[in-house]
Amino acid sequence: MDYKYIEQLVERYFQCETSLQEEQILKTFFAQQEQDVPQQLRQYIPLFQALDDSHAQLSDDFDERIQELTCEPRIVKARTIGIGERLRPLLRAAAIVGVVFTIGTAVNLPMKSEQAAADEINYSAYKDTYEDPTMAYDKVEDALQLLSEGFIQVRMADSLRIDSLYSEVK
Amino acid sequence: MKKIDFRTDVLPLKNELYRLALRITLNHAEAEDVAQETMIRVWNRREQWDTIENIEAFCLTICRNLALDRSKLAERQNASLDEGIDAADHSYNANPEEQTVQRDRVELVRRLISQLPEKQRSCMQLRDIEGKSYKEIAEVMGITEQQVKVNIFRARQTIKQKYSETEQYGL
Repeated sequence: MDYKYIEQLVERYFQCETSLQEEQILKTFFAQQEQDVPQQLRQYIPLFQALDDSHAQLSDDFDERIQELTCEPRIVKARTIGIGERLRPLLRAAAIVGVVFTIGTAVNLPMKSEQAAADEINYSAYKDTYEDPTMAYDKVEDALQLLSEGFIQVRMADSLRIDSLYSEVK
Repeated sequence: MKKIDFRTDVLPLKNELYRLALRITLNHAEAEDVAQETMIRVWNRREQWDTIENIEAFCLTICRNLALDRSKLAERQNASLDEGIDAADHSYNANPEEQTVQRDRVELVRRLISQLPEKQRSCMQLRDIEGKSYKEIAEVMGITEQQVKVNIFRARQTIKQKYSETEQYGL
């Protein structure tokens, strides 16, 4: 292989007459194995290999650090809210309440009227049980007497129990 | 002109910035700090991004200036430069198998580059390692293209000369 070109490039390199491409050729040429480089050019291997500085790199932590240090505050755009928009949630809640109320009333109304119809007293539907008013009076008196006795008994029983409890507490 | 996005246009420059900072400060931790500060400075000037023609050159310029400030500070504090150079070598000495003669020679060249004056070092870094054109380098360094060429010429000559001296006499 003819190494004249490389030799010439090396010479021009040291005279600062090479272009960037030619310098790249030299770097690539001297990056190969020593035995592949002819004897007369081997002396230049370290000179060009020393120019490969790619091992000097920063770690990824550096990126993270920089990104932390340079995070831009997020741009927030101001938005004007009209009175209608501001009151919208309130109106919505009111509408929901209104709907619920309307439905409730609508369901309740027929039920109420049915109940009212059942509770109403229709005097004309009643029929007399006794024909003789005195007999009816006696019966009512008996019934009230019975009720009165019942009340008396209950009251006595109540007061007795309270008395006994009172004495027990004492 | 294209709109600049920090995440896609600036953040991927981190390794380039880091390497330039490392070339100037010769210290890994310092270089990382410089790269980070560069990113933040660029971020803080995001209102001006539209007026910047070349964001990469802009970042590199900031990075170089910050790194120069740091190294000047370190010099004033009498920090040893050798310490930094040693630190840079660790990653390569990690594997004993890699410590071949060839590797040592590469290391020697790296050391020789580190010993160059800062201007030559930065120019060489941007040209030979990052593959920038003379025009871009001139923009980053704030010097003329001719001066860039002169610096790179001197740097390459010095490296070649010192390297062959070392190889011949084992200096």
